[in-house]
Amino acid sequence: MQKLLSIEWLKLKNYRTFWILIALYVVLLPMLNYEIANSLGSFTFNGMSVFTKSYAFPDVWSNMGCLNSYFITFLAILVIIITTNEYSFKTNRQNIIDGWKRIDFLNAKVLLVVILSLLATVYFFILGSGFGLAYSGSANNLLSGYDKIFYFFLLSVNYLGFAMMIAMWIKRSGLAISLFLLYSIMIEGILQKILNWKLGSNYGDFLPLQSSDELLPFPMMKMAAHMMGANIQATVPQYFVIATILWCVVYYFICRSMLLRRDW
Amino acid sequence: MQPVLSIQQISKSYGPIRALESVSFNVPEGSVFGILGPNGSGKTTLLGIVLDVLVANGGSYKWFDGMSADAARRQIGALLETPNFYHYLTAIENLEITAAIKERGHEDKLRVLELTGLLQRKDSKFLTYSLGMKQRLAIAAALLGNPKILVLDEPTNGLDPAGIAEIRELIVKLSNEGITVIMASHLLDEVEKVCTHVAILKRGNLLVTGHVDDVLHSEDQIEVRADDLKALQQLLTGMNGIKKIQPGSNTLLLSCDAAVQPAQINEYCMQGGIILTHLLLRKKSLESKFIELTN
Repeated sequence: MQKLLSIEWLKLKNYRTFWILIALYVVLLPMLNYEIANSLGSFTFNGMSVFTKSYAFPDVWSNMGCLNSYFITFLAILVIIITTNEYSFKTNRQNIIDGWKRIDFLNAKVLLVVILSLLATVYFFILGSGFGLAYSGSANNLLSGYDKIFYFFLLSVNYLGFAMMIAMWIKRSGLAISLFLLYSIMIEGILQKILNWKLGSNYGDFLPLQSSDELLPFPMMKMAAHMMGANIQATVPQYFVIATILWCVVYYFICRSMLLRRDW
Repeated sequence: MQPVLSIQQISKSYGPIRALESVSFNVPEGSVFGILGPNGSGKTTLLGIVLDVLVANGGSYKWFDGMSADAARRQIGALLETPNFYHYLTAIENLEITAAIKERGHEDKLRVLELTGLLQRKDSKFLTYSLGMKQRLAIAAALLGNPKILVLDEPTNGLDPAGIAEIRELIVKLSNEGITVIMASHLLDEVEKVCTHVAILKRGNLLVTGHVDDVLHSEDQIEVRADDLKALQQLLTGMNGIKKIQPGSNTLLLSCDAAVQPAQINEYCMQGGIILTHLLLRKKSLESKFIELTN
């Protein structure tokens, strides 16, 4: 495992695109959050500043979590580029010729997905703590709502794993990125609505990426509740945690069967 | 001798196209084994299968008498079809990845770069390399860490004449050191100069395999000329051991038994009162033999 990771690192450490995308993620994320936190703070309702709590503990985790989950797309595109590079350089073949098993190629990319997700989660924790401290003035309640941090990790593995699967399936970066964006932004939303409407229940919420989106829902609902002065703690059905994990396992086995059976 | 690679009835099709049909042969240890065939005969497909980048529809192969396939591949230096490297990395960084996967050869990078004439460009990105340099880097990567077997698919692709000669010398040198070389090529000249064994493929079928002298054995021909060709032809018709006389534009082409040497012909003609103005032993070219075999 360590061997696979160290080889992935050799492939990436001098890859400029990798560092540019990481830098964009690292720089843009706090800037956007800062912008939103500020504009929310100046947003008043009947002369009262209603959103000041959005970036205070514990709400910072759910609100920032939802916002940051859109940014995972950056890392998903990075995963697609890294994976399709192997196909366009035919280095996937060369790795095998040089002595990897086919499954090693998959496991190395899975490790990359997990590590990137871990790093993104750590960064989420750092940013969340920073904003939370700034907006609530104390570290009380810092870890209430910590489940959101775990959800963010799951969501990240789900998105990046899905991106990896698309990349291994399509093999070409432009097409794979387009398909990923099209699916995550449009197709899944439409499918979700159709399923929920046709089946008369929330089955559509269990679609691959949506099952994770449900873990960090759009905070408008809660904001509205805040506006009314209520303090409702939204609960997340554990079903979505299970669904997310199951989807990740499904991606793994789809990739595995693609890689073991296909010509390279 | 123990075969280092044993191929058993490998078949492969791409949709309706049969790329390989039940191909079997053994590669003896220490040989320079040429896989020959015209374009599209299945050479690269066969090598792709034994290197596990392609999946056969049937049959099996064994490296080193049954070593696990990935461990075996780490003992093999291989170049398949094209040089495959990370474009954005330098030669030395690319070789580092190769060495890491092979789990050996880390200290060997500069030696193989030197051997392939790339030492001065070791810190240039692969992207900036010319076709010939890319091919050289692929050969360097194959040589990394002294492999027991080299698998080279069209190794002289894209190289200049000097490069081709260098690679040829290198193959002979490595073979003398005991390394087994498996080489696919459609350049007969290349095979003729370095190979000890061959397998000839045509449209996915194995036509023949064995020692190069056995497979490509053919009788020699002798070319003669004299001022009076007609008289010469008449005279030679009476000579023992000459099987066929083909008149050319101003020469006669003689197909003879193996025992008949040019000296005997010269002597025979002298005694018959004809002085030869031209006498040439012509080895039947591999090319004509190859065309004969594959047509």
